[in-house]
Amino acid sequence: MASVPELPGSSPPPLESEVVRSRDVLYAIVESAPIAMIMVDRGGRIILANAETESLFGYQRGELLGAAVEVLVPQRLRGLHPAFRVGYGVTPEARTMGAGRDLFALRKDGSEFPVEIGLNPITTPDGVFVLSAIVNISNRKRLEARVRLVVESAPLAMVMINRRGQIELVNAQAEQLFGYPRAELKGKPIEVLVPDRFRGHHPNVREEYFDRPTSRRMGAGRDLFAVRKDGVEVPVEIGLNPIDTEDGQFVLSAIVDITERKKLEEAQVALNAELSRSNEALERSNVELRQFAYIASHDLQTPLRGIAGCSQILQRKFGSQLGQDGAELIKRIVEGTTRLQSLIDDLLTCSRVESRARPFEPVDMRAVVDDALRLLESSVQDTRASVMVGALPWVLGDRAQLVQLMQNLVGNAIKYHGKAPPQIRINSACNANECTISVADNGIGIEPRHRENVFEIFRRLHTQEAYPGNGIGLAICRRVVNRHGGQIWVEGNEGGGSVFLFTARASAEGAT
Amino acid sequence: MNDARTAKQDAVILLVEDDDTDAFLTREAFDRCGAQVSIHRVDNGEKCIAFLRRAGHADDAPTPDLVLLDLNLPVMDGREVLRTLDADRALPPVPVVVLSTSRIPADISTAYLLGCSSYVAKPLDIDEFDSIVRDLWTYWFSTVLLPAAPGPAP
Repeated sequence: MASVPELPGSSPPPLESEVVRSRDVLYAIVESAPIAMIMVDRGGRIILANAETESLFGYQRGELLGAAVEVLVPQRLRGLHPAFRVGYGVTPEARTMGAGRDLFALRKDGSEFPVEIGLNPITTPDGVFVLSAIVNISNRKRLEARVRLVVESAPLAMVMINRRGQIELVNAQAEQLFGYPRAELKGKPIEVLVPDRFRGHHPNVREEYFDRPTSRRMGAGRDLFAVRKDGVEVPVEIGLNPIDTEDGQFVLSAIVDITERKKLEEAQVALNAELSRSNEALERSNVELRQFAYIASHDLQTPLRGIAGCSQILQRKFGSQLGQDGAELIKRIVEGTTRLQSLIDDLLTCSRVESRARPFEPVDMRAVVDDALRLLESSVQDTRASVMVGALPWVLGDRAQLVQLMQNLVGNAIKYHGKAPPQIRINSACNANECTISVADNGIGIEPRHRENVFEIFRRLHTQEAYPGNGIGLAICRRVVNRHGGQIWVEGNEGGGSVFLFTARASAEGAT
Repeated sequence: MNDARTAKQDAVILLVEDDDTDAFLTREAFDRCGAQVSIHRVDNGEKCIAFLRRAGHADDAPTPDLVLLDLNLPVMDGREVLRTLDADRALPPVPVVVLSTSRIPADISTAYLLGCSSYVAKPLDIDEFDSIVRDLWTYWFSTVLLPAAPGPAP
C-alpha cells in the first residue's frame, strides 16, 4: 500500500478567486490599470487614486487623497457636481457619466481636457463607494473636430444623420442649399428635407440602407428632389457614406444641387428637338426641291415646246401672209422660249447641287483644277490665257462638284477679261482644319458694291451683248461651297481684276 | 427608202401623249417628213394598255407597229405602261419608243431598265424635232424588221 505522502506543515494553495479577493492584489490591479481610476466615498472625498490618475491630472497622490472629487471638475461645472453625485448615490448603477453631454476634467495646472467617465458603485462592509474610470478623449475630440472642419469647408452640402434618422450635423453649404440655419435642422428627422410626396416612404428606405450600408449614390437612375425651407423643390444628386463610430452608426450624405445641370440638359433636349425639326424641314425642302427640279424639267417645258413649235409652224405655213414684221415677231417668240428653256436648265443645274450630291471624300485639288482646265481648254486657247497653279491641298468634298466650282471660277476669270489676255493665278493657304483657295485674275474686276450680290442666282452685271450668260455660274459656286461647309467671297485684285476665294475643309488623308 | 415606205403603206403608230399641242406637233412632224402613217392617240397609260388589249380584236384598234410613249402621264404613267408590257405576255410585242421632254438621267435609265426600245428627248426647236422624227420613221419603218401583226390562229 502506498499512500500519497503529505508535505509536512503545508496547507492547500488558495483558490484564484481568493487571491483576487485579497486586498493587496486588487490594489495592485487598480494601481497598474492603464486608465485613471478614482474611488470616492459618500461624501465625495477621494479615498483612492491610481498611478494613471497622478499622471493624467498632474497631482501627487497625497494631494488627492481626502480631497473633494470636485477639485478635478472645472470651475464652471463645479457647482453642479455635488447634486449629480448625490443623485447617483440614490440610484447607483454601472453606467457612463453624463449621457450625451460633453464632459471635461481639470488638471492641477488649470488646463481642461475632454473625458469619458464610467461609474461603478462598490458595496463594501464599510458602505457604498463609487469607482470612476476616467479616459482622456482629447485625441478623439481633435479628430472629430478635424472631420467637422473638413465637412464644414467641403464645397458641397453635407448632412449627417444618426441611426434614428435625426440630423446630427449640417455644413454651411447645406444651410445655404436648404435655407435653414443649422440650429433648426439639428435633431430634426432627415425627412424635413424630403418633399411631401416622398416623405412617407423615406424612413423605410433609410432603414433598409442602415441595414446594408455602402458608399453609393442614392436612388440610382431615379430623379431625386429635396425640399427647401421655403417649400421649393430642388433636383439633387446624393452620395451616401456610412460612418461607424463608438457612438454608433451614422450616414454622411453629400448633396449636389443639379438645378443648373437639369436646365442645361433640358435646354439641350429642346435644342436637339429643334435641330431635328429643322432637319426634317430641310429634308422636306430637299425632297420638294427634287420634285421642283422634275416638274421644271418636264411640266414647264411641255407648254414651252408648244409655244416655240406652234410659232415656228405658223412661220412656215403662214410666213408669206405675215410678212417681214410677222416673221420678226415669231423670231422673238422663239428666242424668248429658247432663253426661257436655258433659264430652266440653269435652275435645274443649280438645284442639282443638292439633289445630286455625293458623299464627301478626300479630294486632290490639284487634280480637280487639272480637270477643270481640260474642260476649259478651248477658251484658254481662244483668249491666250495663262493659268499659274500654285501648291494645292487635299480637301474633303464631292469631286464632281469641286470640278464644276473650279471650272466656273476659272471660266469667269477667262470670260471677264480686259484688253490684255487673261492671267490667272490659283493658290491656297491652309491651317490644320481649313484651306482657303484663291483664283485671281487681271480682268475687268467687280465694283465693291456688287461683291456680295454677284453670287445671287440670275444676277448679271453686264448686258447679254457685252457678256452673254444667265448669271448662274457664281450662284452654283456658292451652293457648292456652302454644301461643303465653306464660304465664298470676292476681293479686288491689286492692279485690277478680282480674286475669288473660298474655304473648304482640309483633309488629313492624302496630305503629304 | 421609198421602197420601204411603199412596203409599209399601212404603218400604224400609237401615240400616248396627254398634251394636245405636243400631240399636234408630233403629227405635224410625221406629216412634214412625208410618212404615210396612221397615228392613233390616247392620253394616258391606262388607255394605252386598253388599246393594246383590244388590238386586232376591234375595228378601231389595229395592232400598232410602234408605240410612242410619253413618260409623265395622268392615271397611269409611262413607267407603269412599260412595266405592264414587260409583265403581260398576252399583249402584242410592240416596240416602245419613249418620247419625253425629260433629259434627267434617272428617267432615261429607268425607261431602258423597264425595256423601252429607245429613248428620245423632245427638243424645243421644231427643225431639230423634224429631223428626229424623220430618223425615227426611217429606222423603225425601213431599217428594222417589225413583228407581224398577229393574225387568226392557223
